[in-house]
Amino acid sequence: MSAAAIINEDQRDCYQELTNVAMGQAADRLARLLNAYVVLPIPKISVIENSDLNMALQGATSDNSVSAVCQGFIGAGISGEAMLMFNDASFASLASLMKYSGPLTQAAELELLMDTASVLIGACIHGIGDQLEIVFNQGHPVVLGQHCDMADLVAYGNNGWDKALAIEIHYTIEHVNIECELLLLFTEESVRALNKKIDYLLD
Amino acid sequence: MSDKSEADTIKDIHWLMDILQNIDVGLVVLDRNYEVQLWNAFMEGHSGVSPQLAKGKNLFSLFPDLDEAWFKQKAEPVFQLKTRTFTIWEQRPYLFHFRNSRPITGRSKFMYQNTSIIPLESVTRQADHLCVIIYDVTDTAVGKLDISRANQTLSEIQVRDTLTGLMNKSAWLTVLESYYASQKQGCLLLLDMDHFRDLNHALSHQQCDEILRRIGAGLKTLGDEQHAARFGGEIFSVILAEKEAEEAMQIAEKLRRSVFSLGKNSQHTISASIGVAERLADTPSASEWLSNADKALYHAKESGRNRTSLFKR
Repeated sequence: MSAAAIINEDQRDCYQELTNVAMGQAADRLARLLNAYVVLPIPKISVIENSDLNMALQGATSDNSVSAVCQGFIGAGISGEAMLMFNDASFASLASLMKYSGPLTQAAELELLMDTASVLIGACIHGIGDQLEIVFNQGHPVVLGQHCDMADLVAYGNNGWDKALAIEIHYTIEHVNIECELLLLFTEESVRALNKKIDYLLD
Repeated sequence: MSDKSEADTIKDIHWLMDILQNIDVGLVVLDRNYEVQLWNAFMEGHSGVSPQLAKGKNLFSLFPDLDEAWFKQKAEPVFQLKTRTFTIWEQRPYLFHFRNSRPITGRSKFMYQNTSIIPLESVTRQADHLCVIIYDVTDTAVGKLDISRANQTLSEIQVRDTLTGLMNKSAWLTVLESYYASQKQGCLLLLDMDHFRDLNHALSHQQCDEILRRIGAGLKTLGDEQHAARFGGEIFSVILAEKEAEEAMQIAEKLRRSVFSLGKNSQHTISASIGVAERLADTPSASEWLSNADKALYHAKESGRNRTSLFKR
């Protein structure tokens, strides 16, 4: 079975459309939080294997030094995980947009990371949930690492999944150097349940 | 609607209220002015503030230690954007200063907390209240801090000698290689205890360890820019950075005398021999430089011990 076989073409288009709507809502929230214009990208829908996760992350930002948080969410038996990664060079601009005063210590960066993650991840998964009539419950965010190498972010090893649906959204803010990547991942069982919901929409 | 179903609904609400009261997480409902509207038993138990006392009071006047600006930064998006926000113990260990729920066997004095702040909508779909949910994550936090401390110790062990706190041999050799590569001048010093095996027989192991520890402490006083290491057993090595032979020999002599003085009040002689080698224009490699220092040390031993020798061709 090829890697892409857990979703078909129509389903892929539908995921793309759902994400477009959701990330637009998320971008609107982010724009209101930062009071800045958020450039809307085209989300990338792909199916990745466990061993490809690091590669998928590597492609996510142009810089290698990153900080990231992840957050699990679950609803209607569908569970997924959201990861938000910031290029470390982004924090200075982010701090000035969010009107954080004081030195940009690792602790201050963590605050910025958490504040942005709360807004972006929440809006995005609820945006998807609303369209599918699923109420997603968010778990607590977990810091994956600060100022670490992209490759060290996710430990290798079998975490009990083989394939996952990956939705990548690359946000940039106009005129300032802020780059972040939001990655939504659904494991195979969850994708099966999601596909049923999607097929219902497609009919 | 029959009476029965209404009674059922009331029973359900009753149950839910009971559960919210007894659940082992903190629940606080705040209005737009940060005045407390709901305060569950977890909050009462840990803070000693009763729901009657808390109700209608401003949160920040009830708990002056709570950082108002910080908390509002997390809470305002909840009101304005109707989004859920989170704080984790890595940001701030706690929101409310509560004692550890296990006062005897707990390893932290206070409770580490994660919080979720969720919007509560009114009938007009406005988020005019919010609920703060407080989770006790003390065990997780303490465990994670333990692991990161253990990892740090492990990486220290890889480069440090545990007895003296100086660098170990392999770490020092790496420093030596990069020092040599930097083209800087300087001298190498090798210090070897005289007849240490006899001393080991005559004294206890603890006493011998103490001697080595004191020599290590003496080498540390040379400063960080002079890279000192316990090279092995009773041998110490130092890179005397940017020192010429004459100054290096003075330092070496001082060291030798201070080692000798360790045996002043003992019936055993404690002494060391020291070899010094300057980096010469034609010293071809770091290992050759080290072997020159070793030759000087050998010379000091051969000429009667408890002395200092400078490498000469």
